[in-house]
Amino acid sequence: MSTLAVRGWGMVAPGGAGDVSGLYEDDLPAPTGHALVDFDIRARLGRKGTSALDRGTALALLAVGAAIDDGGLRLVDEDRRRIGVVLGTTVGSLRSTSDYSRETLVEDPPYLVNPVLFPNTVMNRAAGQSAIWYGLKGVNATLAGGPLALLHVLRFAGNTLRRGHADVVLAGAVEEFTPHAAWLAAHTNPGAPAGEGAFVAVLRRADDCAAPDAEILSVATGYAPGRPADEGAAALARCLSRALAQAGVMPADISLAVCGERADGVADQALDAALGSPGARRLHGPELFGECSAAGGALALAAVLREHRDDPRRDGQLAVLVARTRDGGVGAAVVRGWSRAGADRG
Amino acid sequence: MSPRVVVTGLGPVSSIGVGVSAFAEALRRGRSGVSRITSFDPTGFPYVNACEVKDFAPERVLRRLEVTRWGRSSQFAASAARLAVDDAGLADDAVPADRVAVVIGTTSGESQVVEALTAELVAGGYAGMSGRLWDQVPAGRLSEAASEELAAEGQSVTLTTACSASNYALGYAYDCLVDGEADVVVAGGADSVCRWAHAGFYRLGALTDELCRPFDAHRTGILTAEGGVALVLETLAHARARGARIYAEMLGYGMNCDAHHPVAPDEQSIAECMRLAHRNAGIKPEDVDYICAHGTGTPSNDLAEGLAVHEVFGDRPPPISSVKSMLGHAMGAASGFGAVASVLAIARGFLPPTVNWSTVDPQLPWLDPVPNVCRPHGVRIAQNNGYAFGGNNAITIFGRLP
Repeated sequence: MSTLAVRGWGMVAPGGAGDVSGLYEDDLPAPTGHALVDFDIRARLGRKGTSALDRGTALALLAVGAAIDDGGLRLVDEDRRRIGVVLGTTVGSLRSTSDYSRETLVEDPPYLVNPVLFPNTVMNRAAGQSAIWYGLKGVNATLAGGPLALLHVLRFAGNTLRRGHADVVLAGAVEEFTPHAAWLAAHTNPGAPAGEGAFVAVLRRADDCAAPDAEILSVATGYAPGRPADEGAAALARCLSRALAQAGVMPADISLAVCGERADGVADQALDAALGSPGARRLHGPELFGECSAAGGALALAAVLREHRDDPRRDGQLAVLVARTRDGGVGAAVVRGWSRAGADRG
Repeated sequence: MSPRVVVTGLGPVSSIGVGVSAFAEALRRGRSGVSRITSFDPTGFPYVNACEVKDFAPERVLRRLEVTRWGRSSQFAASAARLAVDDAGLADDAVPADRVAVVIGTTSGESQVVEALTAELVAGGYAGMSGRLWDQVPAGRLSEAASEELAAEGQSVTLTTACSASNYALGYAYDCLVDGEADVVVAGGADSVCRWAHAGFYRLGALTDELCRPFDAHRTGILTAEGGVALVLETLAHARARGARIYAEMLGYGMNCDAHHPVAPDEQSIAECMRLAHRNAGIKPEDVDYICAHGTGTPSNDLAEGLAVHEVFGDRPPPISSVKSMLGHAMGAASGFGAVASVLAIARGFLPPTVNWSTVDPQLPWLDPVPNVCRPHGVRIAQNNGYAFGGNNAITIFGRLP
């Protein structure tokens, strides 16, 4: 793929782990989590049109809005048809779907579900509602890939821009902290506190962006069939090497690696193999933002952008993002970051 | 010049037939896939019918996938992929594994898995929910199941853009091939019938009981349906080099978003999507010989779709039929079944009928729905419509290879 440029981004995420025991009446797998414990949809988005929103959709709306502001996007009608929204997820709002299903099981008659809440059970709700909220009529897509979703999103968005289907894509991912999501996280990654958040980047073709916050130089994804004994570490390393080759950079050029799992896991094995050990400085998503699947993948990109934003000394440094699914999906991206102030792009 | 993309394999797993021969025969005969629901106990629901894939036996089709590890929708996706690849005459080692990509669209992913987990939650609380089911929740597993079955190492992508998701998958696959990112892409969709979607559509007033009657004046709604569908796409050069049988060429696609309402269709936006698809495919409205409609059979969808067709095509639009009249609304697989029907229309020279049709809608008097009986008809170019909740419109265009 050709280079993508990020100019502007928005993030809604908690600053760290805290007490979540008062958040829901339902049982939670752990008393702590990376949750926005005081998050109030109406306080943040107003009363109009928000009564039926699920938590994840509300987070996405805020992140999209923040990205639009940060990117200085002018939303005039002619442009709106050329602005798309592409978001990643694991399974949409699992709580909304499960609650809907529950109604049909415990209520008599079984069909008296609330029709207004039906769209929340469909996984494109956050992206579709973002389009409605901001009037964005361009390509609108949702990709499910859990920890890998952001990399699928970047490839899809890159495709959309390169092939001329849109001029701007608001690309990111979202996950909500609910009892259902927390239990899924506890099952997926036992011991790691569950998290939530949304991150959205304003993407353009590189030749259409003068002063990017970051360049996505390459994104490679693949699949490792046959449940390999190393859980895909070799496949992930190969995928990362492919991403480096596509970007035209050497392993030694990489300053930072952000991976979506805990230290000393499969991702670290892959980084050892592809970048050498110790190699680049490493960040591990679950330690920074909890176990939050698709949002974790997106917050990994946010972590790179945040390091660069106000630090011209880092200008031009390279980072890699690596992620995988439990079932064999692997992916990697190479990102070059820039600061906003005083950057010399030489 | 951009590489041309062709369709060389078809894999439908539907309520009216499994495999391309059975599916094509069902389209020709105007078969109906409707029956009383067995996926869940419909007792207490006013409407108790759907279009299910009865006696679905994935182990008869699959060669690699460990069936018990995967949910029903993933099994549909993998089975469809296997059928399509076999139909394309592609051995698993015929193409380097990292050059084979899979793209699957879905509305509700593993809906039956979420339903089963919820039943466990109701019965015994969160701690009583089984790990085997939690494992199967992520929707991204649909494409991974197909990749696993094919031992494909290229990208494995699941698009969750609701009821147009297969067309999204086809559009993305098309661009991947044009850009040389893969040699073969297996693209389609999958979904399963489930209780909560049945309830939701009923409460939206979008469900019908026994007969789905798209474009009929007295249409009353959809029948929920399920299945899996996949198409094998490759570049023309790749197909010719291996001597493949070519069904049709994929000419392009269009996508846009209503940005208007979560569930109501938007006629203007649909018309715009048709224009985008025509422009991308390099065709004009008058080039289109057949439209495979989104055609859900709800009063509002068919009216918006018919009026959009009128706006783009004028008073004499090409014949437009809905295969949902036969196989129901298979959600994320729906536009994939439409794509297979479009490709068969081109390759075999017939228009699938809209069955259960009796009365002209006075608001759509110029519309030819190919009523009730399959029609022999040469088709050079077919347009396959898909719309969705969230205003996610996607339209694919197929053509006969000159």
